[in-house]
Amino acid sequence: MKKKRMFVRMISASLLRRRSRMIVALLSIAIGATILSGLVSIYYDVPRQLGAEFRNYGANMILTGRDGRFTAGDMAAGKAVIDPKELVGAAPYRYENVRIRENPVVAAGTDAEQAKAASPYWLIDSGEWFSRSGEMLIGAKVADSFRLKAGDKIEVSFTPDDQKQAAVKNEAVEDNVKEFTVSGILKTGGTEEEYIYMSMGDLEGLTGRSDLTDVAELSISATSDKLKEYTERIDQAVPAIHASLVKRVTASETTVLSKLQALVLLVTVIVLALTMICVATTMTAVVAERRKEIGLRKAIGASDSSIIKEFMGESMLLGLLGGIVGSVLGYVFAQQVSVRVFSSSISFRPLLVPITIAVSIIVTGLSSLMPIRSATDIDPALVLKGE
Amino acid sequence: MFGRMIRGTLFRQWKKMLMIAFTIALGASLAAAMLSVMLDVGDKVNQELKTYGANIKVVPKAASVLSGLYEVEGDQSGAYLKEEDLGKIKTIFWTFNIVDYAPFTTVNAELDGGGTVKVVGSWFNHHIALPTGEELDAGIQSLRSWWDLKSGSWLNEQTDTDTKGAMVGTELAERLGLTVGSSIHVKGRAAEDTYTVRGIYDAGGDEDGQIYVQLNTAQALDGLEGKVDSIDVSALTTPDNELAERAAKDPKSLTVAQYELWYCTAYASSICWQIQEAIPDSIASPVRQVADSEGEILNKTQLLMILITILSLIGAALGICNLVTASVMERSQEIGLMKAIGAYNGSVSLLVLTEVFITAVIGGIAGFFAGFGFAQIIGHSVFGSAISLRPMVIPIVAVLVFIVTMIGCIPAIRMLLRLRPTEVLHGK
Amino acid sequence: MSLLELKNVYKIYGELHALDDVNLKVEKGEWVSIMGPSGSGKSTMMNIIGCMDKPTKGEVLLDGVDISKESSKSLTTIRRDKIGLIFQQFHLVNYLTAVENVMLAQYYHSIPDEKEALEALERVGLADRAKHLPSQLSGGEQQRVCVARALINYPEIVLADEPTGNLDEANEEIVVDLFHKLHDDGTTLIVVTHDPEVAEVAQRQLVLRNGKIAKEVVNQNFTGKIRFTDQ
Repeated sequence: MKKKRMFVRMISASLLRRRSRMIVALLSIAIGATILSGLVSIYYDVPRQLGAEFRNYGANMILTGRDGRFTAGDMAAGKAVIDPKELVGAAPYRYENVRIRENPVVAAGTDAEQAKAASPYWLIDSGEWFSRSGEMLIGAKVADSFRLKAGDKIEVSFTPDDQKQAAVKNEAVEDNVKEFTVSGILKTGGTEEEYIYMSMGDLEGLTGRSDLTDVAELSISATSDKLKEYTERIDQAVPAIHASLVKRVTASETTVLSKLQALVLLVTVIVLALTMICVATTMTAVVAERRKEIGLRKAIGASDSSIIKEFMGESMLLGLLGGIVGSVLGYVFAQQVSVRVFSSSISFRPLLVPITIAVSIIVTGLSSLMPIRSATDIDPALVLKGE
Repeated sequence: MFGRMIRGTLFRQWKKMLMIAFTIALGASLAAAMLSVMLDVGDKVNQELKTYGANIKVVPKAASVLSGLYEVEGDQSGAYLKEEDLGKIKTIFWTFNIVDYAPFTTVNAELDGGGTVKVVGSWFNHHIALPTGEELDAGIQSLRSWWDLKSGSWLNEQTDTDTKGAMVGTELAERLGLTVGSSIHVKGRAAEDTYTVRGIYDAGGDEDGQIYVQLNTAQALDGLEGKVDSIDVSALTTPDNELAERAAKDPKSLTVAQYELWYCTAYASSICWQIQEAIPDSIASPVRQVADSEGEILNKTQLLMILITILSLIGAALGICNLVTASVMERSQEIGLMKAIGAYNGSVSLLVLTEVFITAVIGGIAGFFAGFGFAQIIGHSVFGSAISLRPMVIPIVAVLVFIVTMIGCIPAIRMLLRLRPTEVLHGK
Repeated sequence: MSLLELKNVYKIYGELHALDDVNLKVEKGEWVSIMGPSGSGKSTMMNIIGCMDKPTKGEVLLDGVDISKESSKSLTTIRRDKIGLIFQQFHLVNYLTAVENVMLAQYYHSIPDEKEALEALERVGLADRAKHLPSQLSGGEQQRVCVARALINYPEIVLADEPTGNLDEANEEIVVDLFHKLHDDGTTLIVVTHDPEVAEVAQRQLVLRNGKIAKEVVNQNFTGKIRFTDQ
């Protein structure tokens, strides 16, 4: 009992009264632990975060009707299969041939918010998304050919099916006509520039037929295996629709994302290895400095094992303290990185705290063991002579 | 004598000096590795992102919106790009950033059993020899990296013996019961032709219902010899910034200096501009799905690497600092002795600094090469290519090691200066 | 039986005979000083007696046990139990207070007891300095802490290596007085020194030269309690 108290007293004296040296050692362990916990947090969070970035490429799953069109109910049933946390956006599209100034144009009805989420790369060159009934977004090429700009008003006409018969018979055709305001010009560099976009409700009003969807674009933050599984489950759950993956997006994402992950992993491993060696050399230096003291203790009658026990106790206590400081700082660092790079906060991994502490204790312990052992091996007489 | 003393420390206390050198080497290698990777990661990831395909699309200026939309039959008014101009893409200022490109000529052809099919002529693995002496293999085999070859093989202009080979999409193949080796007869406006199916691909998109043949083969079908209706270009680009966005809208709105900067930076918009300059009557525009996303991912990856680099630099710096402090302090006895026999503070400090400096130079050089080696490990195992040595890494690492080592000496030297010889020699 | 007996002890480093056929007997309670110029083998002898080194040849009997045959581990045990060491350079653990330094020896020996450690410091006249760190003590005070530490486990032999080498005259006197006290209490003392003044107060002086005992002088004027006149 008394012995234990003396042990504690010695270690705390060593830590408190040799403050500057101990701070040097503690600092080095804490840096090591910070890098460890910081990088590992980042490593675990990067796939999720980067995966989210890749959703910028837009939809990676397409729902189409097995026999032509499908309903909003079918789409909702399909969407229900997907984990809501993974679903970034799900935009329905209905395409109809309409006419502007008697020229045919494809009008797409969609949900503005969902379309924005599913296709983040769409650029509204001037103006903004349609937000009210009677507004539409037009593709840049449409804007070019009709010389339209944001704010312009233009009539859009649609010929219902029954009227098409009339047209064939050369009878007077009664078109549905509605005036729209151009809310903005859409630029994508792709075929979308050739369409006009309006709300589902407006398109339904214009055509007089409701609850029809041609295609739904889904942007899902998941691995390609998971996506494949989703398509199968959707196909089974909702017979009316067929889910397929946008290969260009999914295949490329898998290739690139796996490389980026490998990059972060390797960087983490190399930085960690070098940092741990750095911590080890510092600890070695800190202990080696005390050869004389070890010799003295031996001369007074300390056995090798009790010396190892005391010095290891001290090192491991340092490791513990450094590990605790490092876990906190590492989390702060990872959080900073996450906020700065991905503007989202990192999830706190409680398991990382004991791991960081354990690793710092092990690294400091092992790196002190060597010099302690070599110091106990030498002749106390030599050390005391001041050589 | 000074030299002799330094040599004495370096050689007789080589174990301690080796340890300092080793730690400095570790720190320097960490710095060198991370800086090299950080500086190169943009190019590497950019290269990887090329799997998403073309980021620039070139179409003729007069292409009608409506024909594009409706595939209006008989619409011959749509202007075409000239096949002979294709080589000019590799003559622009940023020619080395053009990784790949392929022209397309799309023809609506009639099938035997009724119905139409899109026959697309393109390059698969086309060899281009430029007047500049540069050679390049370009085509959709690499531009459409996500295409999954279900059976057969890719067409290849360089090895195929005839020009009548075709690749068909899975959907079309299924519908018509085509397999590798079967023939398909198509009729265009100008001619009809029979192709042999060489490969069946799954593209996961509209292309699955189309036929891909060599460029000239498709052109012949509609009598469009020498005409191309679009070009896909894959270029390494710098993520857009505010300047690039302004320039993309109207390059004329920039001042001369801004224009120079924009023109001489590999923004998607400046490359587009240069392509338009090179190819008459063309409009080149970035494919936002690819270009924009590329920019986002590149920026994020680079920022991530920069922050990790900063963290490891701080780690390396503190590690070196610590060890230098610890090991110089350890020598208080020796230094007390020197002071006792009449050394000035200045000369003692100079001695210590010189020793540590020599050690740092040795450790730093060793560490630099080790770090560059680590960078190569990362480069080869992640990207399968070497990380290039940026000359700027050398001065950065050198300055860093120098500053950090000297800072590490400061507390030790302050202690040495305060040291009174008697205290040291009389057992502290 | 003598407490310590060296029989034909040799210590050979290559060509150098640091100890060359040394024979010595030290009785319990005796105060012996060993003198000699540098390189005469003083330190080697001190190390061998202090169980920190083993002879190349010969027997070293401590309490009847031949320590020259023991393993280094049991040497540590013997050193801990039977020998108290005092060094020229004091060798205190610089981050432990005076009393803690004394307790350190107790700790390795058996059980630390602060009260006992304080008493030991009182005996060397340092009761009021017990809570000071070595850096706050003068050289003499530090050496007295060493003496207290050497005594704390009631060793059979107190072995002092140049105990006054780093001390001024006033402190030297204090330490020599302490030795007198120790001797009066019955402690066996072996003092290695090359200060004749310190050597002369001992009951018996040995002079080493080239690894051999060159001269042995018995102090006729010895004032201590215990005498071995027949030696």
